[in-house]
Amino acid sequence: MIRVQFFGLLRLLLRKESVELPSEPGDTVGRVLERAEKTLTGPIIHKLAAGGVLNAGTIILVNRRNVLHLQGLETPVNDGDTVALFPPGAGG
Amino acid sequence: MAETERYSRQILCWGEEKQRVLKRATVLVAGVGGLGATVGQLLARAGLGRLVLVDDGVVAWSDLNRQTLYAEKDVGKKKVLVARERLGAINAATELVTLDARIDEGFTVPVSTDAVADCLDNFASRFALHRGTPAGVPFVHGGIQGEHGQVLTLIPGESQSIDLLFAGCRQPEGPISVSPDGPIIIAGLMANELFHVLWGEPRLRDRFLVVDLATLSLQFLDV
Repeated sequence: MIRVQFFGLLRLLLRKESVELPSEPGDTVGRVLERAEKTLTGPIIHKLAAGGVLNAGTIILVNRRNVLHLQGLETPVNDGDTVALFPPGAGG
Repeated sequence: MAETERYSRQILCWGEEKQRVLKRATVLVAGVGGLGATVGQLLARAGLGRLVLVDDGVVAWSDLNRQTLYAEKDVGKKKVLVARERLGAINAATELVTLDARIDEGFTVPVSTDAVADCLDNFASRFALHRGTPAGVPFVHGGIQGEHGQVLTLIPGESQSIDLLFAGCRQPEGPISVSPDGPIIIAGLMANELFHVLWGEPRLRDRFLVVDLATLSLQFLDV
């Protein structure tokens, strides 16, 4: 299984802490998020990415690593991995 | 006034040895705004030995809803100067060092700093502050936006760097929404973590504490 966790404002918007999805061959962050979206009350992909490019504002971590330092939405995701979506507070 | 009387209530919480550790410690507070004004105040009240305050801003009317060191008569004055006066009045035993400076590339945390409190209001300055923090000096980050905030401790040289972690985060355009209570709650949690960092017992090392004031819930996110 792949676990997708939501934090902060996303958790409030989606009314869900996490979803678990069966892994599929060739899974990537983008494909996992598309499948996760189908289980949710609201869309998430448009909040995170447009045209395959990640929007600023939410960090996506695969097993604690920001996907921008991996392969972005094309980052491979394997069975047992955790994908965390977190929009950090920017102010101080 | 004896120190034991002044700190008697908190010594009941954590004991005399931990109080002595605070008295010997130096913390750099970067940004003396919503988070930093309260973090600095709590550290001074706790009996910290030395506080280094860094900010280049002036007090604005829009700061007064949450920046606990400032009042109407301070509008237009340099934050570090007002903060120095207020904190000195709160605890004359805490040595105060103020730097009227913007934190950007080239900024270096002074030697003999025991911990850094990232109370800044933008990602670019946070990244520069982290790069200017010596290896091994704990870096306690706080952030707040609307009804959500986070606290995290990184150890430069050992943890992920904050710019790797927050890669891709751009500053929102325009003013960031912030309530009177939100920054004070996050600042209280930062002060709590700073105490534990100084005692060698960080609880948020490589672990975000994500605070959701909309639902009154806390979550951990390991990084």
